[in-house]
Amino acid sequence: MIAPFSDILVYLDGSEGSLSAAMYSIMLAKSTNANLHALYVVNTKALGDLLNAHIFIDMEKNEYLEDLVKDSERHLRHMKKLALSKDCEVTVLSVEGAPHAEVMKYIKENNIDLLLLGSINTIHSRREELVSETDRMLRTSPCPVLVVKDDEEIWDKFEEI
Amino acid sequence: MDLCNVIKKELIIVPLTASSKDGIIESLVNKYAEYKHLTAEKTADIIDEIKKRESLGSTAMENGIAIPHAKLEGVEESAVVIGISRLPVDFGGEEKTKVFFLVLASKNNPSEHVQLLASIARACSSSVFVRLLSGAKSVTEVYELFFD
Repeated sequence: MIAPFSDILVYLDGSEGSLSAAMYSIMLAKSTNANLHALYVVNTKALGDLLNAHIFIDMEKNEYLEDLVKDSERHLRHMKKLALSKDCEVTVLSVEGAPHAEVMKYIKENNIDLLLLGSINTIHSRREELVSETDRMLRTSPCPVLVVKDDEEIWDKFEEI
Repeated sequence: MDLCNVIKKELIIVPLTASSKDGIIESLVNKYAEYKHLTAEKTADIIDEIKKRESLGSTAMENGIAIPHAKLEGVEESAVVIGISRLPVDFGGEEKTKVFFLVLASKNNPSEHVQLLASIARACSSSVFVRLLSGAKSVTEVYELFFD
């Protein structure tokens, strides 16, 4: 059977949930011969908003930006290492902006036909202001979305293959 | 990580009775310290960190909200302490402040800290929400505003 997708994008945000999604994406890409892409978005939109709202001062914004860039490099390096350990090729990219907007842009520009997300939060509130970035991606993605539950079984299966 | 993941009833103060900026910071940090069973020394360190950050520029926003915050060594889980003052307090912003969010995050997870602060800023961009929060009379009322 041919898989109904050829280009998978996994969104990484450094959470444990996104690490499970990364492992799952590698297993999925390997078993379907799909191309695998991993994207980390340094949330400069949030940094800018925090600066405009006077919650951050300039120095603090720059310090956080530096930390976030380092964080993105660390997570993408880890993604590459995981993929390499399973003989799977992956295109990794770090961009700056608003996470949901950057992910949507990447999907459209790279003909992504499956988006993998981890760490979807429990719905706590109906307030639009409290919706998370990953929830927005799930709602607005132009392609099918697979939500990977943070489950130890995924880690075990990943070790087995 | 969003705001609703870290809100706990035990970390909400209504009403916050301190009338000075330092008093507000101390009340919020003491609430966290009580919940986490921190030593007096550790509590004083956190108060110093928050005051140090505030001395560089107040985190009071234009809408009566302030978000004092710090990245701390040895903190594994991010925490938010919410305090609602009956009377507006001068927190160093252009307007006086009634609603306070103390955000304490791990030094090792900048992404989580930014997400949390952004989540609070986003929630507080709604004037209706801020009005409801400012007028909340009890811990339960504040808690339910986030989980209705």
